[in-house]
Amino acid sequence: MTDPRLADLARRAPETRLLTEPSDLEHYGRDWTRRWTPAPLAIALPSTAGDVQAIVRWAREHQVTIVPSGGRTGLSGGAVAAHGELVVAFDRMNQVLGFDPVDATLTVGPGIALEAVQNAAREHGLAYPVDFAARGSCSIGGNIATNAGGIRVIRYGLTRQWVAGLKFVTGTGELLELNRGLVKNASGYDLRHLVIGSEGTLGMVVEATLWLAPPPPPTQVMLLAVPAMDALMRVFAVARVKLQLEAFEFFTDRALEHVLAHGAQAPFDVLSPYYVVAEFDAGDEASQAAALDMFEACLEAGWVTDGVISSSDAQAASLWRLREGITESLARYKPYKNDISVRIGAVPAFMADMHGLLAREYPTFDVVWFGHIGDGNLHINVLKPDELDQESFVAQCEVVTKHLAAMLHKHGGSISAEHGIGLVKKPYLEGTRSHEEIALMRGIKAVLDPDGIMNPGKVF
Amino acid sequence: MKILVGYKRVVDYNVRVQVKADGTGVVTEGVKLSANPFDDIALEEALRLREKGVAEEVVIVGIGPADLTAHLRNGLAMGANRAIHVTTTEAVQPLTAARVLLKLVEKESPGLVIVGKQAIDDDANQTGQMLAALWDRPQATFAGKVEIADGKATVAREVDAGMETLDVDLPAVITTDLRLNEPRFIKLPDIMKAKSKPIDVIELGSLGVDTGDHLKITHYAAPPKRSKGVMVKDAAELVAALKHKGLL
Repeated sequence: MTDPRLADLARRAPETRLLTEPSDLEHYGRDWTRRWTPAPLAIALPSTAGDVQAIVRWAREHQVTIVPSGGRTGLSGGAVAAHGELVVAFDRMNQVLGFDPVDATLTVGPGIALEAVQNAAREHGLAYPVDFAARGSCSIGGNIATNAGGIRVIRYGLTRQWVAGLKFVTGTGELLELNRGLVKNASGYDLRHLVIGSEGTLGMVVEATLWLAPPPPPTQVMLLAVPAMDALMRVFAVARVKLQLEAFEFFTDRALEHVLAHGAQAPFDVLSPYYVVAEFDAGDEASQAAALDMFEACLEAGWVTDGVISSSDAQAASLWRLREGITESLARYKPYKNDISVRIGAVPAFMADMHGLLAREYPTFDVVWFGHIGDGNLHINVLKPDELDQESFVAQCEVVTKHLAAMLHKHGGSISAEHGIGLVKKPYLEGTRSHEEIALMRGIKAVLDPDGIMNPGKVF
Repeated sequence: MKILVGYKRVVDYNVRVQVKADGTGVVTEGVKLSANPFDDIALEEALRLREKGVAEEVVIVGIGPADLTAHLRNGLAMGANRAIHVTTTEAVQPLTAARVLLKLVEKESPGLVIVGKQAIDDDANQTGQMLAALWDRPQATFAGKVEIADGKATVAREVDAGMETLDVDLPAVITTDLRLNEPRFIKLPDIMKAKSKPIDVIELGSLGVDTGDHLKITHYAAPPKRSKGVMVKDAAELVAALKHKGLL
């Protein structure tokens, strides 16, 4: 450790482990985006809130910037450290710190994996219902920083709804205790909600208290073959009335082809342009009968052409793999990802516009659509053709994203539904948020992080 | 040829089973119940044999209370031609199940009986073997591959040392292992069609089988919790701790 700044840090935060090996710098310096070359100053692994405060005070003094780091599964470059930042990674603050059976809350360190939180809740006969495919590696701190959503938002909402309290170290090194697990707290601005979704630009979460839900009832999963785009929302409208939906997702034939090529079991003999995965409460015979009613109604109307249903949780899992396996099956094509949202009711009109845009702008590219259509959230992945180099591919995609941002503005949508803005979507923020809003956001950041040391260059 | 398939309903494989507070059994209320995975494999194999033209009819058998109907409808939707529901409100032990199946074998004269090698609730692994003995016909257990030709079944069995291949004369009993096949998804249109497939309901008492329980279950208990490990500072403390426990 030849850098005198790091020697000073080691003195001031004695419980913190510092890493400077090139392999560590690369590992901790990037997320699931692969566009930037990691180049952090060092990696700090604190184990206490006090050390996190000491790190922030040190950073202000030495004018070093900080990139907070969880599981680094983000898709927007929010955890990328490419300019000599100190990465503060919460790997060692990953414990369950407490459970309160009366409040039904779990208190955890920010570095704990989402799946570990779900498992800890289950140990107590309860559930932490936020869920998505990266559950095994993403961390709660990162979930809070991006207000993560996922596949059960339609039933349980976003991470925001489950945060009962936060301990938070600001960009000035102060430790705040926000909301302290109160259900009702009408005592001024709720700073907890300001922190949630702030992508590490205001400070760092050092402890979180999460509300837990009653355990979910037994469920079943249906996979439906849908012949046309406008039928998707019609099926959704029927399903949300007839069933207690836990999830309602769609993907296209292109997405399924990639997943099947990756080794999944084919659900139908013939391909259909669109598919829906719907999970619903099936605790009793009445709800199973309702599912069948719904299917019959959609079949008669011509909105679905075929369907299968899980008869065990193992089969439910293999149907889910068709949807959850998409991202992994596309990874080798280094896809350019769009994660956008519009009002649920605006989905059909927006999708029709989008389809026209993509057909016009990407006539030769492989475009894969999927997403949480029940939340108005679409994931559009453009796959890089092998013969095109990465730079010109991204350049072409960014031209289209500009058109896309304009189209979202027209439909009142958002350029980032759940991945965050990070670095990737920064140029398009103005399509979604007004100048006045962005100016206010900058003002808020200036108060909590006056030296601009917290995750600089991200969001705006 | 007709194939008879044992089709039991159990607590779903993915459910964390909890013992009732009074120790009289495990909690099944509000818990996902599914087909025994090995029985789903048995049914899948029977359907594949029918699709190959080896068999003409697949009949599933379930033993249990009135609400077992929904479970049997699933088996019919998967593709079975018809179902036999032997009704009883009592828990059924393997010997009773084997005796019930024998009665149905005598009635139906199947060329083949396929059952799961075990049910994942009691993991007894007995019903198939007991049926073969009572019926006095060959058995091929833990099947990983099944081929039928010329009145014989050639069965590759999963045994500790690898695979063992048996030729058995039909009729015979085959029990399925995990890798035999991957059961198909149930198609929703087939659930609609299955509504009109027949389920014969027979009361267990009317079959005239000895249902006397040979095993008495005294109580259920969760496995003892492992106590947490203790950290010791150094080798000396470790030795002292081991001596204290009488292990050194």
